[in-house]
Amino acid sequence: MEKSKYSNVDEYGFERASNFNFEMHDKFMSQYIRTLTRRSQRWSTLTGNKYKKSNTLKRFVRKGIPVDHRLSCWMSVSGALELKNKSKVSYFDLKKKLTNRHVLESIEIDLPRTFPDNIFFTNHEYLPSHLYNVLAAFAHQNTDVGYCQGLNYIAGLLLLATKDEEGSFWLLKCLIDKILPQYYIITMSGLLTDLDVLDELIRVMEPAISRHIHKVGMPWAMGITKWFVCIYSEVLPTETVLRIWDCLFYEGSKILFRVAITLIRLHKQQILETNELGDLIACFRNMKNHDHVIDCHQFMKDVFSMSGNLSNSKIDKLRLKYQK
Amino acid sequence: MSTRSGQAQRPNGSTQGKICQFKLVLLGESAVGKSSLVLRFVKGQFHEYQESTIGAAFLTQTICLDDTTVKFEIWDTAGQERYHSLAPMYYRGAQAAIVVYDITNQDTFGRAKTWVKELQRQASPTIVIALAGNKQDLANKRMVEFEEAQTYAEENGLLFMETSAKTAMNVNDIFQAIAKKLPKNEQTAGQGSSGQGRRLAENDTGAKAAGNCCK
Repeated sequence: MEKSKYSNVDEYGFERASNFNFEMHDKFMSQYIRTLTRRSQRWSTLTGNKYKKSNTLKRFVRKGIPVDHRLSCWMSVSGALELKNKSKVSYFDLKKKLTNRHVLESIEIDLPRTFPDNIFFTNHEYLPSHLYNVLAAFAHQNTDVGYCQGLNYIAGLLLLATKDEEGSFWLLKCLIDKILPQYYIITMSGLLTDLDVLDELIRVMEPAISRHIHKVGMPWAMGITKWFVCIYSEVLPTETVLRIWDCLFYEGSKILFRVAITLIRLHKQQILETNELGDLIACFRNMKNHDHVIDCHQFMKDVFSMSGNLSNSKIDKLRLKYQK
Repeated sequence: MSTRSGQAQRPNGSTQGKICQFKLVLLGESAVGKSSLVLRFVKGQFHEYQESTIGAAFLTQTICLDDTTVKFEIWDTAGQERYHSLAPMYYRGAQAAIVVYDITNQDTFGRAKTWVKELQRQASPTIVIALAGNKQDLANKRMVEFEEAQTYAEENGLLFMETSAKTAMNVNDIFQAIAKKLPKNEQTAGQGSSGQGRRLAENDTGAKAAGNCCK
């Protein structure tokens, strides 16, 4: 095979896995670069209150936010900017009041364990300290959550994507306080609820898969916890995760279910062919290598065509039904 | 690994009687080295900075013990206390558990005791529990005395070893000791698909193998 012109480190500093599908990636990128150029031109036509929510902007966001618009657009459409503007305390003041030794120690332990394969985290002095600041400031102003493992990956990817410590803090706060369910509080009740919600959705939409997963004996928690808790960072290719986050910030947490259902449907055949727990879990772990998952553009099309008619009100009802 | 015949073939051509599969769960405070112990045991590797486990990971490893092939299904769990609510899903039906603490951190020993209590109360009554005092390579920073842990283990009927995932000290040994202690007969079987000494599924070793296994 001809050597790929792409490095074995991606544009966000992540080392590509030894089994990374370069051939597929090259093919995808040769198309995607055209898409990126077209998208960039389109976004440059936005004027005035650029990121005011509208059907046009929603359509644009679903097709991917250009890198140079991401921070401002995420801040605006998610409500993080509003949180920041209304806050009586600035991020810089929050950073000065870090007193809970126990919480700070757990964050310190996890710093070198966050993206140890990412060159921006391992080769640079500043990024781990930014990560520490964001997590520590967050833990001190939201004591119900404090520090929960998984937040390190979210904050870490926010920093890599936005290159802005303060923005990353407000986006993290907005995700935890407003967008995501109560995944990170001490009981993780929101996570337990969402695992049950997904169980019901799959039971109704894909009964054969549901029966098979129960028969093989994989608790949903085993396959899905990391998907939800890390909102797919450390699970799917970086570009695909950021495209999911574009929609998450705009449309809310139902996108997590749409992605989960799409991943499961894309792998229906493989799932049904597994007989043993180990193979089933491996199948879930390898979903990041599917052609349609590497091709983030195709994947997002799949997400909106394959996950059925999933409204916020339907998810709300199910969450109420399985409330812990 | 397995053959389609009733008995597994050894490389030298001799046959081997039993194949037993056990579910083993790793529990313990965050960053004591649970994933590192598994990585050492399964792949012979060690990473200074092992990524934190979110939820749980799953690996398998097979060892030979006399005339028995023991296949471990290893469930490696997240250590942070709040992930506790997920733990029962993982230790349900487990025949063995390794409860890990860090010998340089007294708090993690306290947390290990809590896990032992919970397993004794909630898990299968016949579960084999091993206590692993990990990071033995850092013995110069020791905060938990060997004797203290050993006495505790004896009082509670636990296997006990100090281990080092970094140097590989006692890593295979602790799994080997667990395998020895596990009942390798069908009499104790039960509890559904994850019950005691589960025979390999028929489609894995062939129908005849299932008949020969674990008798």
